[in-house]
Parts: sequence; structure tokens; C-alpha cells
Amino acid sequence: MDAAVFIVSAVVVLTGAAGVLVARNPVHAALFLVQTLFGVAVLFVLQDATFLAAVQVIVYAGAVVILFLFVIMLLGVDRAEDLGIEPIAGQRSVAAIVGASMLGLLLTVLLVGVDGPTGARGANAALGGAEDNTRRLGEALFTDHVFAVELTALLLTVAVVGAVVLARRVRGPLQPMPVVTVASATGSDDASATGSDEATATGDDPAAEADDEGEAG
Amino acid sequence: MSAVTTLAGMGDRAVLAADPLLRGDIDLGIVGIVVLKVVVAFALLLVSVMLMIWFERKLVADMHNRIGPAVAGPFGILQTLADGIKLFFKEDLIPDRSDRAVFKLAPYLSLVPAFLVFAIVPIGGDFSGDGTVTWFGERTYLQVADPPVGVLFFLALSSIAVYGVMLAGWSSGSKYPLLGSVRASAQMISYEAALGLAIATVFLTSGSLSTHDIVATQVEGNWNVLATGVVPFLVFLVAGTAELNRPPFDLVEAEQELVGGFHTEYSSLRFALFFLAEFMNVITMSAIAVTLFLGGPSGPILTDTLGWVWPILWFSVKVFAFLFGFVWLRATLPRFRYDQLMDLGWKVLIPLSLGWFLLIAAMRVADAEGWPVAPVVVVGLAGMTLGAVLLSGAVAKARAERLADLDATEGVDA
Amino acid sequence: MLGQYLPVVVLLILAFLFAALSFVASRLLAPRRPHDRKAAPYECGIIPGRETPERFPVRFFLVAMIFIVFDIEIVFLYPWAVAHGGLGLFGLVAVLLFSLAVFESFVYLIGNGALEWGPVRRVRHAVSPARTSTSTIRRAGVREVGLEGRTIGDESGRAA
Repeated sequence: MDAAVFIVSAVVVLTGAAGVLVARNPVHAALFLVQTLFGVAVLFVLQDATFLAAVQVIVYAGAVVILFLFVIMLLGVDRAEDLGIEPIAGQRSVAAIVGASMLGLLLTVLLVGVDGPTGARGANAALGGAEDNTRRLGEALFTDHVFAVELTALLLTVAVVGAVVLARRVRGPLQPMPVVTVASATGSDDASATGSDEATATGDDPAAEADDEGEAG
Repeated sequence: MSAVTTLAGMGDRAVLAADPLLRGDIDLGIVGIVVLKVVVAFALLLVSVMLMIWFERKLVADMHNRIGPAVAGPFGILQTLADGIKLFFKEDLIPDRSDRAVFKLAPYLSLVPAFLVFAIVPIGGDFSGDGTVTWFGERTYLQVADPPVGVLFFLALSSIAVYGVMLAGWSSGSKYPLLGSVRASAQMISYEAALGLAIATVFLTSGSLSTHDIVATQVEGNWNVLATGVVPFLVFLVAGTAELNRPPFDLVEAEQELVGGFHTEYSSLRFALFFLAEFMNVITMSAIAVTLFLGGPSGPILTDTLGWVWPILWFSVKVFAFLFGFVWLRATLPRFRYDQLMDLGWKVLIPLSLGWFLLIAAMRVADAEGWPVAPVVVVGLAGMTLGAVLLSGAVAKARAERLADLDATEGVDA
Repeated sequence: MLGQYLPVVVLLILAFLFAALSFVASRLLAPRRPHDRKAAPYECGIIPGRETPERFPVRFFLVAMIFIVFDIEIVFLYPWAVAHGGLGLFGLVAVLLFSLAVFESFVYLIGNGALEWGPVRRVRHAVSPARTSTSTIRRAGVREVGLEGRTIGDESGRAA
């Protein structure tokens, strides 16, 4: 029974992960991500970590991916992307190296570790049993790990400040913008961006100009 | 086990959240019972949705001084069935500019969570005992499933339901559905936060996330609505109504502005499934409210023979009161404006429920430590007032800055 | 323990089957008469004149952002609420500190206008004072009944 549940959810997780990579449309990729998060939640249930499973769905699927979708819609990039263009130079090769080393690390742990990575068969084992997962988690969080909990609050504050800075508006009177020149500048840059790879170097400029435009409007 | 009971303290019972039916090994007979229970719950939900739609139309008609559905069946009671059958015979249109895969997926994402939420609602069982009934020699709960994190299951599913609405609008490739769905998803996540904070107060008294345990701690009229000081209940009601996109918070499908909202492009059965999910959510939200705050199926058992009927009756009566309330709201209140909606959610309900949670928590801790409660309440209320002052200061500052910006912009124009 | 989730799985399958079978039934029963007009975006019969907006206001992003903050706060509150009996004053202080930090960032966000949606002020005199109910509504008896909505001076509609 456990093995069957594990295999099914592992398939769900892996197809979701592959889908995120392969999907051409950012919204589809986000949906595949939700699928992966779901599969992971089922795996958590399998490990008796019921609270974590619910939180996985509530926070990741319910809030973080919704934020992704808002950002996708916000930027208006919700149509199929051309995967041939690499927006950040060198990103893909670095990603490949990091991915390969992660895989190597995982395989090493699996092959070398005798009784699994932590030795614990259930997520709750260290807290003393499978029942009453939430209560045990609460007791552990607010006694042994209380410092980490308070740090999380600090982290959230930092995130909020970051969001406000990102979404800031220009203060003071708005200058009438030289619309024509801006439009022609972005237009020409866009054309070159689709044309050649050299555009990645100048790729920042149209983005910045588009930002100014957004703030003015 | 002893560690749990000593740590629990406060008279909280360390209850095993598990249906006795499924506690041991599972053989084919038990699977049969489970399937039977699920099918009964499923049918019950569908029939009650059918009656709910009819009831809503009839009651709104009465409040509007109209007749309402009157042709299909006695008092038009089969109207919903007739509508449903009609929708099977309608052409299923998929817009040219839609994202076909997501367009087809969205109704499932709305409907399936709506069905699943009902699984955690205890609809009967004698809670003066251990809340079980014995049928055909098997002891079981009168609820489909009792996961140890029951209420979180509900919250998780309602966050999935946001996807149904959001993707339906986005995938339609049409502007009004898109506007409706962006509005809807922002509204639903906003009020989900208020909903979650209101529920947190319930966990203080119940000491468990399982719906069965939450009902079990509310026996003998010791309902959470009073034990948590009414405010969380009111916040839950408002936030629940907004979460359901029911009037007066139905901006999602504001016909005058958005044609039909996120499901404008949906026709035939796909529309029917959205419609079904919407009304199913009304029923399950009422049932959850009853479970969390009004003692679920608990109530006096008046006869010995067929004693299991009474809890089901009490549960139905309580749920019906909520359903009536939802219809009444729809017939009475005009729709909110979007900024009013957001202000109510973020600047009133969320801070209020957070402050109230901390107040009740402080009172309970003070009680356990043996301090006098009155000073704690005074300090808590003072803290909440301070918070409210800070918050309104922040609102005033933001508003003043926007005004200044506006003046500056107008200066450019003139 | 996994047995407790059996009913959920059964219900999930049943819900999916219900939806899927309904689609099969609809496919068999429903007519199929495709037409360009039917597949075009529906805008109450008006031919769509402009494109769907490509970008959305940044406010929605801020709402989602602050929702994450509160979601995480809630997620920490739940285990504490369940276990608060055994944690006593220490736990209460920890939660108060945590909530204070979250509340303070919330106030910061609001102070920066992140949740300002509405019109800043009422527009006064947007409608010219000359437009009153007497100037805009034509009443029966002032002119002949049955002419509402027709252009004044259009004699062709009048019955001979």
C-alpha cells in the first residue's frame, strides 16, 4: 500500500517537474509546478507529516504559485515563449552544472547512506510518534526552535520591504514623457532582440524604459 | 502518550483523530462500507444542491414579490433538474482564442474541491458519547473522512478552488472573463487570510485541527461562537461570504461591468459544473461554519429509538439557517465596490481577527497561569487600540500621498 | 494511518468520474454546429474593438505578496494554538513577538499605499448642473404617449 502510494505520487511529482521544464507557456509551467507540489504533499502524508502536507498545499500552491501567476499576468508574458532566447547570459550552462551536481549529491547520499539520509522513517519520529502531528510541531517550534521562528518573522519583513521597493512609484509631479522617442527606441531594441544574441547585452535598456512608462501610466 | 496528556493541560483531551472504522486492518467489507458512505454523501450533496438552487430562486422571488419557478414539479421543485438536463443538450463551445487545455481543466479544478470539502463535515453521530454510530455491526463516524488536519484540508481545498476561477478567466482569451478572474482571485486570497485567522481562534478552544474533535469539544451547548467571543464567528461569516463570491461580494460576476465574469465564455455542461460547484460551496461553507462555531450535529437527543436521527436533524436545521441567511443577504444588500471590498478585508477583518486571536490567547494563558483575567483584557484591548491607531495613521498617510500625487498630475495637465 | 485517507481518495475518484461522465453524456447529447461567430470572444454582441489588456496593475502583485506573509503567519499560529496549553507564557510571548513583526510590516505596506484602491476623492460636479430630472426625463402627458426614445421631430413614426 505504502509502496503503491509512493510510486503514484513520485510519478505525479516527476511528470510535473518535467512539465515545468518543457512547457512553453509560463502559465502551463506554473500549473505543472502545482502538480509537483501536490505530489510532494502526498509524500508528506505518507511520512505522517500531515500538517506539513496541508501547509505545502496552502502556502505553496495557494499563495506562492498564485503570486507567480499574478506576476506572469502583470508582466503580460502569459503567451508562449520562444525557448531559443536565453534572457540572462550563461544562465543555462550554470543551471545545467548545478543540476548535475545536485543529482550527483543525491545519488551519493542514496548509495552511501545505509538507512536513508536521516535514519528516520517517519517525519515525526524525532518528535516521538505519529499521532498529534500538529501539537508536537507546535511544541517543537515554540520551545527548541523559537529563535528560528522569530527569524522567519524578520525574513517576512524583509520580503515586504522588498515588495514595496519593487513596486514603488515615482514621487512628485510626473514629467510629460517624450512618447515618440521611447516607443521607437523600444521598438528597435525588440526587433534586434529577436534577431541576434548580441541584444542580450543591451537587453536591460528596453526593460528599464518600459518600467518608466509603466510608472508614469 | 503520557507526555502528550501532561503537555496538553487545560483539560484538552488528547484525542485520536481517527475513524474507528478505519483504525485497524482494512478488508474488502470495510472498503465496501467506505464506498457506500462516499456514494451516500455524494448523492446527499447533489440533492441538497438541487434543493438549494430551487430554494434560493423561490425565496428571492418571494422577497421580490414574484412567483419564481413554478412549472416543473410541485412548487417548481424540479426546476434545477430541468435546467441541468437542458444544459446537457446545449452546444459546448470552446472559443477560438482560448487556451484549450486549461479551458477544459478549469471546471474540474472548481468542482472537485467543492465535492471534497464535504468529506470532513460531521453530519451526525452522538457527541455526548464518542460521536460514533453503530450500523450493521460496525462503529463509524457520520462523516466521510476525519484527517488529523481536517480544517487545514478545507483551507487547502479552498486555495485550490482559486485556481478554477483564475484559470477559467485567463484561458478564455476574452477580456471580461480575464478582468473578472483577476478580481476574483485577488478577492479570494484576501479573504482567505481573514478566514484562516478567524479559524485560528477556534483551535485555541478545541486544541485540535480535526473536525470531529472540534465538534466533540462543543457538546452541551458549549459552542465556539461564545467560547471565542463572537468576533471570529462574524469575521468568518463575512469572509466566508466573500470567499464564496456571494452577494454582496459578487464583484467577480458583476453583470453590469463584466458580462458574466470568469465563466462568460463557458457554455453547456462546463458552465453547469461551475454553477454546481458554486452552490455546493455555499452548502459546504455553511456546514463548516456550523461545525466550527455552532457545535455541528450536537444537540439534545429526545428519543431512545432511532436516536441517531436527532443529531442529523440538528445539523440540518443549523445549516438551513445559514443557507437562509445567504439568500437573505443576496436579496437585501447591494454589491460592494472593489476598493470597499479590499478595504474591508485587509484593513478591518484581518487586523481585527489577528488582534482578537491574540487577546483570547492571552486570556487563556493568563487563566492557566492563575493570573487575574481583567488586567490582561485591559492591556490586550489597549494593545488592539494602539494597533488600530497605527493602522489608521498609515492609511491616512497613504491617502494623503495619493492626493498630493494627484494634485501634481493635474498640475501637469492644466 | 493511511487508511484514514481512503474515503478521500474514493470521493476524489467519484467526483472526477462524475465530471468526466457528464462530459461524455454532453458530447453524445449536445448538437455540434460550429460557427465563427460562436467561437469569437463574447462581448454581448459587440464586435471586440480592442485587444485584451496585456499587463495588470502592480497592486495585484502586492496583494499576493502580503497574502503570503499572512499565510505564513497563520501557518505558524495554528500549531501554537493547538499546543498553547503546554507552552504557557513563553509561547505567548514568542507568538506576540512574531505577530508584532508581521503587523509592523503590514502597517509599513499600507503606509506605502500598497492597498490603496479607491478613488482618492469624490468627483463633484462631474455632471453639469443643467442636467436635472426635468431636463433629461420626458414624461407622459408633456408630449404624446408612445414617443419615448424616438428622435424629436421625427414624424415618420407617427401613425397616420
